[in-house]
Amino acid sequence: MQRADETLSRAKDGDQTAFADLVREHQAMVFSLAHNFSRDRGTAEDLAQEVFIHLYQNLKSIESPAHLKYWLRRVTSHRCIDHARKQKMKTVSVDDTPEPAAPATFQDSLMTEALRRIVATLPEKPRLVVTLRYQEDLDPTEIAELLEMPLNTVKSHLRRSLTILREKVTRSLGEINV
Amino acid sequence: MNRFDEELKLALRREEPSPDFTDRVMARIAELQRQEKSREKTDWLRRLMQFFQPPQMKWAMAGAVAVVLLIAAFGVHRSRENERRRLAEIAEGERAKEQVMLAMRIASAKLNVAQKKVYETASHEGESK
Repeated sequence: MQRADETLSRAKDGDQTAFADLVREHQAMVFSLAHNFSRDRGTAEDLAQEVFIHLYQNLKSIESPAHLKYWLRRVTSHRCIDHARKQKMKTVSVDDTPEPAAPATFQDSLMTEALRRIVATLPEKPRLVVTLRYQEDLDPTEIAELLEMPLNTVKSHLRRSLTILREKVTRSLGEINV
Repeated sequence: MNRFDEELKLALRREEPSPDFTDRVMARIAELQRQEKSREKTDWLRRLMQFFQPPQMKWAMAGAVAVVLLIAAFGVHRSRENERRRLAEIAEGERAKEQVMLAMRIASAKLNVAQKKVYETASHEGESK
């Protein structure tokens, strides 16, 4: 924790190497949020880059490593929604998305891929709520604070999304112990 | 947490971006810094140009135009005054010349009369001798 504090402090003083360390430390989180939201690696990398450049320009306002994590999650979430609105992203139907490459453990990977594709068909906000819940392991209260959304709305998005996901996965893969 | 939750966690787990991701971010930041530096260099020129743009320059421009108009009006007035003085001097000279000519004509006439009288006096003296 002290090391993270030092890295942040050095980055704030203009140390480029320290800033690169911050990028390396958080790039998986930022990129994955964007990737799980958009299901497109190129778009996700572009969004993640923009988030880190925005961070560089606003580094002085970051107070602590925990604040940095919160800030990155928040900015990435908003960027994802903005991007989706700008692009007027069509929700991808399960049938339209490409089939995954041949998996190693066939049944698990099929399930994983099916879930990813079905999550991508959810509307923007429920998709983001599900991503933050299962990728970042945030509880509904934290998600509500991050997305400035009422707690009940978050819970309802989660409940409804999980029902939809269960139904679609069952339909897509058949009854396989879901 | 049930099996479905576990499956979702697995499906949405964190993944790393391309290996050169950090380098690309840092390259973009370096590029932004270069652009900022070059913007700072041309900033003084931009500020100068801005000074000459409305609305900041409105009153300064109006003042400058008024000063130029005043100088031009003063110049025209001076030039006309000089011309008037020159013409007056010429007229004065002409008048003086005419007076001199008149005086010379009067003097000449007087001399003629005197000369005539001298000749007449001389011829009378010769006859009486």
